[in-house]
Amino acid sequence: MDPATTASPDGRHHVQSLLMRESLLDRKVMAATEAPTVAMLPFCHVIKIGGRSIVDGGRRSVYPLVEAIGHALERNKLILGTGGGARSRHVFSIGIDLGLPSGVLAQLAIADALGNAHMLGTLLAPYGVVAIPPEIFGHLLPLFIQAAPGVIFNGDPPFALWEHPPRIGKIPPHRSDAGSFLLAECFGCATLTLVKDVDGLYDRDPKEDPAARFIDEIEIGDLVRRNLPTLPFDRVLLDLLASARQITQLQVINGLKPELLEPALRGEHVGTIVRR
Amino acid sequence: MIKIGGQSLIDRGRSAVFPLVEEIVANLPVHKMIIGTGAGTRARHAYSVGIDLGMPTGVLSVLGTFVSMQNARMIHYLLARQGIPFIEPAQFPQLPLYLSERRAVIFFGMPPYTFWQPNPQIGRIPPHRTDTGAYLVSEVFGARSMIYLKDEDGLYSADPKKDTNAKFIPSVTVGELEELDLEDVVVERSVLEMMKNAQSSRSIMVINGLKEGNLTRALAGEHVGTIIRAD
Repeated sequence: MDPATTASPDGRHHVQSLLMRESLLDRKVMAATEAPTVAMLPFCHVIKIGGRSIVDGGRRSVYPLVEAIGHALERNKLILGTGGGARSRHVFSIGIDLGLPSGVLAQLAIADALGNAHMLGTLLAPYGVVAIPPEIFGHLLPLFIQAAPGVIFNGDPPFALWEHPPRIGKIPPHRSDAGSFLLAECFGCATLTLVKDVDGLYDRDPKEDPAARFIDEIEIGDLVRRNLPTLPFDRVLLDLLASARQITQLQVINGLKPELLEPALRGEHVGTIVRR
Repeated sequence: MIKIGGQSLIDRGRSAVFPLVEEIVANLPVHKMIIGTGAGTRARHAYSVGIDLGMPTGVLSVLGTFVSMQNARMIHYLLARQGIPFIEPAQFPQLPLYLSERRAVIFFGMPPYTFWQPNPQIGRIPPHRTDTGAYLVSEVFGARSMIYLKDEDGLYSADPKKDTNAKFIPSVTVGELEELDLEDVVVERSVLEMMKNAQSSRSIMVINGLKEGNLTRALAGEHVGTIIRAD
């Protein structure tokens, strides 16, 4: 037997390692695994383009933004994610009416975001951007991002049937904001920008209440404490950002003002910055 | 829904796995089973090396998936003569057909989060591993039961392998477990977290897979080991 493999008196065949025989659920063991991580793609920016807020607006909201993205691609490597928008909302409402669980709804929603990714991919093709199918996206991302100035994917994380049951209701909690965040965090990207149709975060929904107050910058702890009734991004981002190691902040910007995109990529404060 | 432990059972080799495979086969005429596998010591090795090399949690999740896949394939070959398929996440649409035709399927327990695995609150190790992946399959398909096969009789107040004073807990709710605030638990904490929000999989059972007959009794609905309920 290989000397690194031990037939132990406890009857289990172990491989010598720091975690050998340990319960990975022991808090002390878990804490001992804290360590710095490498950044795989620190020169890339992740941009999530809203499905409902941007793509569903059609030519009026999409064309100017595509032009701004095209311009940004001259100087930046971009990883673009997008959401499913109105079609996902429709399939959710039918699915909920049919009694389908959240995991099935999450699986269904991927198709809508993919459709939007392909539409944006078509418009961005002249700039060399390619839409990548989710099955190969993660593993081949370093290759694609060397070969092309930008790539586009459905922003959803691949949770599908394995989506977590939500605290309230049936809507899958990890949607395309969360998927874009998790990708940026794992690959250690330079910035994460969420492109919406509002200037950023407000204390109430600015579309319903004109007295809503703009919040230009907030720490995640404060945001959790304020427990705002509505957020311009997936609520689960609050948990995800709190546990982030590589992404220290994200910025929400208004995609109807496409001139804000490049300053946001340079790290300028042009929307709402949410800090870890 | 059955999950076979990696470090606790499969890493023991023949002595633990053969009797278990026999018991699964004996139950096939009576029960339909979705069988997930854990990872175990090779994942611990990969995590150790990966953490030392600075791998992010998402990459560690990919590594853990590979190990639980090896274990699923081994169990699959041992069950080959029963015609039971091994399925990857992309083949889950065929799950109902396979259950109807062959009465069981094998899959790797890791949820397919890969690079999208959320970070843990402490440390680096993926928080959603094979216990969670199996649990979510039981929840989304509304399985009759979620049975974890491990090498202990169930949940104890501490790790019984390290603490001889550890007390056995036959039955507990998630809320009571939170109050106990144990340093170590027998299933992934994210399972307990998700049980609170679950629509259908509101209780799980942790049983000793080294004891012959336990699986059969658990499948028949008897209280074996520890039952953890959402409320």
